[in-house]
Amino acid sequence: MTQKRDVFEGDYLPFIVRYGKVTGWLGVLMSFGPALVLAVVYRIMPPTTAILTAFIAMASAVGVNWFVEPISYFPIVGVAGTYMAFTSGNISNLRIPAAAVAQRIARVEPGTPEGNIVATLGMAVSVLVNTLILTIGVLAGSTILARLPANVIDAFNYLLPSLFGAIFVQFALMKLKLAPIALGIALALTLAVNLGWFDFLPGRPTYLITLGAVFGTIALAVAMHKRETGRP
Amino acid sequence: MDYLQIANSAPMWIASGLAIGLVLFQAYIFAKKSYNTGKAIGLSDTQMKSALKGSMITSIGPSLVILTGLLSLLVTVGGPMAWMRLSFIGSVMFELMAVGFGAEAVGVNLGTDSMTQLAFANAVWTMILGSIGWIIFATLTADKMDRVQDRFLKGDKALLKIIPVAAMLGSFGSLVSGHLVALNKNTIAAITGGLIMAIVVPLAEKDKLKWLREWGLAIALFGGMIVAAIL
Repeated sequence: MTQKRDVFEGDYLPFIVRYGKVTGWLGVLMSFGPALVLAVVYRIMPPTTAILTAFIAMASAVGVNWFVEPISYFPIVGVAGTYMAFTSGNISNLRIPAAAVAQRIARVEPGTPEGNIVATLGMAVSVLVNTLILTIGVLAGSTILARLPANVIDAFNYLLPSLFGAIFVQFALMKLKLAPIALGIALALTLAVNLGWFDFLPGRPTYLITLGAVFGTIALAVAMHKRETGRP
Repeated sequence: MDYLQIANSAPMWIASGLAIGLVLFQAYIFAKKSYNTGKAIGLSDTQMKSALKGSMITSIGPSLVILTGLLSLLVTVGGPMAWMRLSFIGSVMFELMAVGFGAEAVGVNLGTDSMTQLAFANAVWTMILGSIGWIIFATLTADKMDRVQDRFLKGDKALLKIIPVAAMLGSFGSLVSGHLVALNKNTIAAITGGLIMAIVVPLAEKDKLKWLREWGLAIALFGGMIVAAIL
C-alpha cells in the first residue's frame, strides 16, 4: 500500500501536474489563435466595447460555472482528469460518462489512485473518439446534415436527457440511500428556479441547482456517515 | 468578402488545428503515463484494456450529439471554429449562446439579420473570452484541490469513497432534474435511460454477460432516445 502511494504521489502526480500546467496555459494561448488570425491576417478587430459587452453578457450567464464545475467534478475525476476535462470541454455530456464507465468496468472506486488513473484513461479515449467523429463530420460537412432524415436529427435531442438519466442511475445503484436525497434537492431547486424564486440573482441562476445539489448531497452524505460510524 | 470565406480560410483551419493538436497531445501523454502507472500499482492489462474499450463504445453516442451541434454551429461560424470549439474547452449550448451574444453586441441579431465580418469576429472573441475562465481556474487549482480535499477528509478514508459518489449524484441529479420537470419527451428519455441502466448494471455483474459492462451505457442512452422518439 505504501509503495502504491509512493508511485502515485511521488511520480505520477508530479508528472501530471507539470504537463497539466504546461498544456493548460498553452491551451489558454492557443484559444486566441483564430482571433489573432482575424486581426493580423484579415485586419478585422471588433471595438473593445463590443468585446466587453458580449463578455459581460457571457460572464453573467455562465461565469459562476467557471468556478463551480472544476470544484464539483474534482472528487470524481481527480487531478489529471481536471486538467484534461477543462482543456477538452464537453464535460458532463462526454468526459464524465466515459470516465465513469471506465471505472465501473475496471471495478475501481472513484477517488482512489486506481480510480483516478482509470478515469484518465477513459477520458483520453473519449478525446480520441470525439475528435475523430468531429473531424470526419466537419470535413463531410453539411452534406451529412442534409441527407439525414429530419426525424433522426430530432431524435438526437433525446440522447442527452437519456444519458443524464442513465448516469444518475449508475451512481444511484452505488449509494441507494443517497440517490433520493440528491434527486430531491435537485428537483426542489429546479422547481424553485423555474418558479422565479431566485430572479433577484443575475442571469438565469441554474448554477444554484448544481451548487445546492452537489454540496447539499455531500454535506448530508458526510453527516450520515458520521452518524453511522460515531465519529465526531 | 463574405465572412464565411474568411471563416473557412486556410489560416483559420491552421489556428484551429493547432488547438486540437494540443488536446490530442495532452490526451496521449496523460493516457500513456496513466497506463504505465496503472500497471505499476497493480491494475491488470485486461482490466485497463476493457475499460478503454468501454469508454470508446460509450463515447460514440455523446459524440454524435456533439456532431449534430457542430453541424448547426458550422452554418453560422464556419468549419474551423465549429470544429475547434467542440473539441477544445467548449460545449454545444455554450457556443451557440456565445455566438448570439457576440453578434448582438455589434448590432447583428442572429436569425433576422445576416452575419457580418465584424459580427463574426466579435462572436469569435466572445467564444474565447467566455470559455477561458474554466481552463484558467482549473489549471490554477487542479494540484491544490487535492490538499483541500485531504484537509477536509482529516484522514477518514471511508469518506473518500462517499464524497465522489455524492458529488456525482448531485451534479447529475441537477442535470436530469430539468428534463424531469419538463414533462415532455425529454422526461420520457431521461426516465427510460435510467430504467434501462437499472436493469443493465445488475445483469452485467453476471460472468456470462460481461460484454454488457462495456455496452451498458450505450444501450441505455440509445434505448432512451428511441423510446422517446417513438412514443
